[in-house]
Amino acid sequence: MNLQPLLEPGWVTAILPELLLAGGAMFLILFDAFVPRAKGLLAPIALIFFLASAWSQNLFTQAPAIFFGGTYEISPITRLFDLTFLLAGMLALLFARDYLDRERIEDGGFYALLMWGTVGMMMMSKGLDLLIVILGLEILSICIFVLVGFHRRIAVSNEASLKYFLMGAFATGFILYGTALFYGATGSTNFAAMGRWFASNPSTPLLTVAFVLMMAGFGFKLALAPFHPWAPDVYQGAPTPVAGWLSVAPKAATLIALVRLFNAMAPVLPTVSWMSMVAALSILSMIVGNAVAIVQRDLKRMLAYSGIAHVGYMMIALLTVREDSVAAVAVYTITYALMNIGAFGVVSLLVKNENDPHTLDDIAGMGFRRKFYGFALALCMFSLSGLPPTAGFISKFFIFKTAIESGHTTVAFIGILTSIVSVYYYLRVVYYLYMKEPAAGQAVAAEGGVFALGALTVAVIGIMAIGVYPSPLFQAAGYAARVLLQ
Amino acid sequence: MPLLSLILWLPIAAALVLAFFPRSAETAMKGWGLFWSAATFVVSLGLLSGWDNSQAGFQFVESMNWIPQWGITYGLGVDGITLWLVLLTTFLVPLIFLAGWNSLKKHPKEYIIAFLVMETAMIGAFLATDLLLFYVFFELMLLPMYLVIGVWGGANRIYAAIKFFLFTITGSLLMLLGIIYLAFQNYHQTGLPTFAIADLYGTQLTPTAATLLFFAFALAFAIKVPIFPLHTWLPDAHVEAPTGGSIILAAVMLKMGTYGFLRFVLPLFPDESVRWTGLMMTLSVIGILYGALVAWVQPDMKKLVAYSSVSHLGFCVLGIFAMNQTGIEGSILQMVNHGLSTGALFLLVGVIYERRHTRLLADYGGIARTMPVFAVFFVIAVLSSVGLPGLNGFVGEFLILAGTFKANPIAATFATSGVILAAIYLLWLVQKVFFGPITIEENKNIPDIAWNEIAAVVPMVVFMVWIGVHPNTFLVKMEPSVRHLVTTIERGAPDRTPMLAANRDARPTLVARESPAGPAAAGSGQAAAAVSTPGGAQ
Repeated sequence: MNLQPLLEPGWVTAILPELLLAGGAMFLILFDAFVPRAKGLLAPIALIFFLASAWSQNLFTQAPAIFFGGTYEISPITRLFDLTFLLAGMLALLFARDYLDRERIEDGGFYALLMWGTVGMMMMSKGLDLLIVILGLEILSICIFVLVGFHRRIAVSNEASLKYFLMGAFATGFILYGTALFYGATGSTNFAAMGRWFASNPSTPLLTVAFVLMMAGFGFKLALAPFHPWAPDVYQGAPTPVAGWLSVAPKAATLIALVRLFNAMAPVLPTVSWMSMVAALSILSMIVGNAVAIVQRDLKRMLAYSGIAHVGYMMIALLTVREDSVAAVAVYTITYALMNIGAFGVVSLLVKNENDPHTLDDIAGMGFRRKFYGFALALCMFSLSGLPPTAGFISKFFIFKTAIESGHTTVAFIGILTSIVSVYYYLRVVYYLYMKEPAAGQAVAAEGGVFALGALTVAVIGIMAIGVYPSPLFQAAGYAARVLLQ
Repeated sequence: MPLLSLILWLPIAAALVLAFFPRSAETAMKGWGLFWSAATFVVSLGLLSGWDNSQAGFQFVESMNWIPQWGITYGLGVDGITLWLVLLTTFLVPLIFLAGWNSLKKHPKEYIIAFLVMETAMIGAFLATDLLLFYVFFELMLLPMYLVIGVWGGANRIYAAIKFFLFTITGSLLMLLGIIYLAFQNYHQTGLPTFAIADLYGTQLTPTAATLLFFAFALAFAIKVPIFPLHTWLPDAHVEAPTGGSIILAAVMLKMGTYGFLRFVLPLFPDESVRWTGLMMTLSVIGILYGALVAWVQPDMKKLVAYSSVSHLGFCVLGIFAMNQTGIEGSILQMVNHGLSTGALFLLVGVIYERRHTRLLADYGGIARTMPVFAVFFVIAVLSSVGLPGLNGFVGEFLILAGTFKANPIAATFATSGVILAAIYLLWLVQKVFFGPITIEENKNIPDIAWNEIAAVVPMVVFMVWIGVHPNTFLVKMEPSVRHLVTTIERGAPDRTPMLAANRDARPTLVARESPAGPAAAGSGQAAAAVSTPGGAQ
C-alpha cells in the first residue's frame, strides 16, 4: 500500500463531522473539569457540537469520494446514516439531560462518551475496510460499556455494564476471527478487493466458517436471535436514555456495515446457502422477540424484545441487497430511531428508584394525567406496531414490499404474522396509558424539563411527518442506495 | 379547495384545534364538535348538487402524487357505490354528538377528538381511489375506535376493545401482504408502479395467486362485516362500546367490509368471486339465520341489536354475491338502511340505559306509558329494521331477495325466513319493553326522551320514511356505477376465460365450476383496464 495518497486533499472537510464531535467531546470533559459549577451548560454545548456536526455534512459536496488509501468513503448513504446517528445521539442527549439531572449524576464525560460513540458509528458506516469497521465498532463498544454502567450507585447498572462487556468482548472476538479468515481466503479486508475476489472465485468452506463467525459477532451487536439474550438485561440496567440510544444507533451502524459486506459477497451468494441462514436468524428474531415481549411487564425489557423483533424485520430487507432494500433499511433505521428512543425517552421520565423495574403499572393512567407524554408514548407504540398513519407503517410497508419484490414471500408472511402478535403487547401499553386507573398511592410521576419535552416533540413530529409524507426521505434514501450499489 | 378534500379533512382539522381547548371549557368543546361535524355534513351535501346521474365512474376526482416512487397517489373520488355511504357518515356524526350532549361527562375532549378522527378515517376509506390510501384510512379508524371502546366503554371494555382490534388487524395485515403482492404483479406486467384501484383491476394473476389474494382480501372484509363465523368480536364490541361508539360501529364501520367486497374483492378477483359464491352465500345465509336466532334469546337489549346486525349484514353480503343489478343495488341501499335503523336503535337503547342503567329486557315492561314519545320513536326504528313496507328496510331487503332469487333461489328462500325471524325478535323486544303492566317501581317515573335526543332521532326517521316511500331518489344515483360493476364482473378476469355472461344471473355457482381455464382471451385485459378507468371523470 502506497502511503503517499493517505492524506488526499479535502480530507479535513470530509471528516469534519467526526472531528467536530471528537474535539467537542474533549472540550466538554475539560470544560467540566475546569468549570465544575456550570453543569447546566454541558448539554447545550454538546448539542451545539452535534448540530455543528450535522451541519458540516453539507460542506462536503463531491460525492461519493474515497479517502485514506481506499478505506474511507463519503457518499450519500454515509451522510444519511451519519444523520441517523446524530439524530439518535441528540435525542438520547436531550432525554439524558433531564434524567441525569434528576438522578444527580450529570457529568461532562457522559456527553463526551455519547459523542465518541457516534464517531465510532460514523467510522463503521464509512469504512470500506473491515478493519476500519472493527476500529469503529471498538470505539463504539468501549463508550457503550461505560455509558451502560454510568449510573454507578445502581447495582443493576453495573451488572448490565459487566454483562455487556463480557459478551461484547466475545462478539468482537468472533468478528476479528471472521475477518482473519476472510483475509486468509480472499487476501484482503477491503470490501472492494473482496468483491473482486468473490466475482472470480467460487466459495470455499473456509469462507462459510468466516461468514458464520461474522454473523455471530454482528448478530450480537444487532441483538439478533439467538445472539440476543444480553439485550433485555442490559437495557433494563442501563440508564434509560442510554438504553434507547443503545437499542437503535449501534444497530444502524452494524446494518450499514453488513450491507457493504453482503454487497461484496453478492457474486457468490446465489451459489451458497448463507442467506438462508440469515433468513433463519431473521425469522427466529421475529418470533422470539414478539413472543417473549408478550410476557414482559417491565417496559424496558419489553422494548428490548420488541427491538429484537424489529432487527428481524430489517434483516428481511437485507436478504437480497438491492437498491430498494438498502433504502428500506435506511428509512427503517431513521424511523426506528424516532419511535424507539421516543418510547425509551418517556420511560426515562418516570420518577422512581432506578434499581426497580419500570413496569406497566407505572404508566397507568398517564394518558390523561400527563397528556403529551401519554400521547407521545401511545404514538410510538402505534408506530412500533406499524399502524398508519405513522412512520412505522410506511417503513414496515417498505420492508415487506422489498421482500416480496425480491421473492421472499414466505419470510414476509411470517413477518406479517408476527406483527399481528406484536400488536397485542404494543396495544397493552396504550391500554395502561388510557384505560387503566393507577393503583391507589402508586401513581408514578413523569417529570421532564424542556430538554425532554423538545426531544419528544421532535420524535412525535418526525413520526407523523415521515408517516404522512415519506416521499422526500424515500427519494434521499433511494438515491443514496443507488450510489452505494453502483 | 376541492370538495372531497374539504369533506375529508374538516373533521380532523377541527379535532386538531380542539386539542388546544382548555380543560374546563366542556360546553365549548361539545359545541365545537357538533358545529364542525354539522358543517362537514352541510359541505358534503355539495356532492348531491354537483352529481351527474349518468356517470358510472368516479366523480369529483382529485389526484396528487403522494409517494411517486411507488406510484402511490392521494387520489379521491366518489361514485354511486360510495355516495350514500359518505353522506351517511357525515350525517350521523353530528347526531351522535347531539344525542350524547348530556351523557358525555368523562374526558369529553378526547371523546370528541376520537370521533372526529374516526370520521375523517371513515370518509377517507370510502373516498380513496388508491389502494394504499384506502388501507391507511381503513386502519386509521381502528385506533380511535379502540380507545372509544376501551376508555368510555362498559365493564368488560378492555376485553372487547382488544378483541375488536386483534380480529380486525389480523385480517387487514394479511390483506396488506396481498396488496403489496398485487401491486408488484401489476408493476411486473406494466412496468409502471401504481396502487390506483382502477389500474389494478387489469392485473393478470395465476389461478393460485388469484385464489390466495381473493381469500386475503375477503378475509379482511369478512371480519369487518362480520360474516359468520368471524362475527364473535361484534357482540362484545357493541355491548361494551358507549352509545356513540356502537352507532358508528354498526352504522358505518361494518359497512367498510361490505364496501370492500364491492370495490375490491368483486372487481379485482371476478372469477374467484364467482367460484366462491356458493361459500359466501352459504355463510351469509347462516349468518342471517344464526344472528336472528341468537338475537331472539338475548336478555340484553344491546346484545339483541348487535346480533340483529349480524343478521342484517348477512343480507348485505347476500345481495353483493347475487352479483346482479338488483341484488347489489339492494345491498348498497340496505347498508344505508341498516345504518339508519340500527343506528337509531342503538341510540335509543342508549337513551333508556342513561336513565335506568340497565339493558336487560327483564328490567323493563310497560314503559310505553311512562315514556310515550320515546316509545313512538323506538317502534318506528324497530319497524324500519323489521322491514315494514313503507319504511326503508323493506325496500332494501326486497331488492336483495329479488336479486338473490334470480341468482340462487334456495339461498333466497332461506334468507327470507330471516325477515320473519327479525319480525319475531324485534317485536318481541318491543312487547317486553314497552307493553304489558309495569312491574318494576323505578319504571313508573322515567323521564321521557329529551329535546336533544329527539333532535337526533327525527332526522333519521325522516330518511327512513323517505327511502321507504321514494327509494328512487337514492337508487337512481347508484345505478350507473352498479351496472358498470356488474359488467366488470361478468367480463371476468383478464387472463382467464370470461364467464358466460348470459348464464350468470341464473346459477353462478354451477357456471363457475364448469368454467374451463382456457386460453387467455387476448386483449380483454387491456379492455377491462380501459373500461374500469374512471371514465372521463372531470
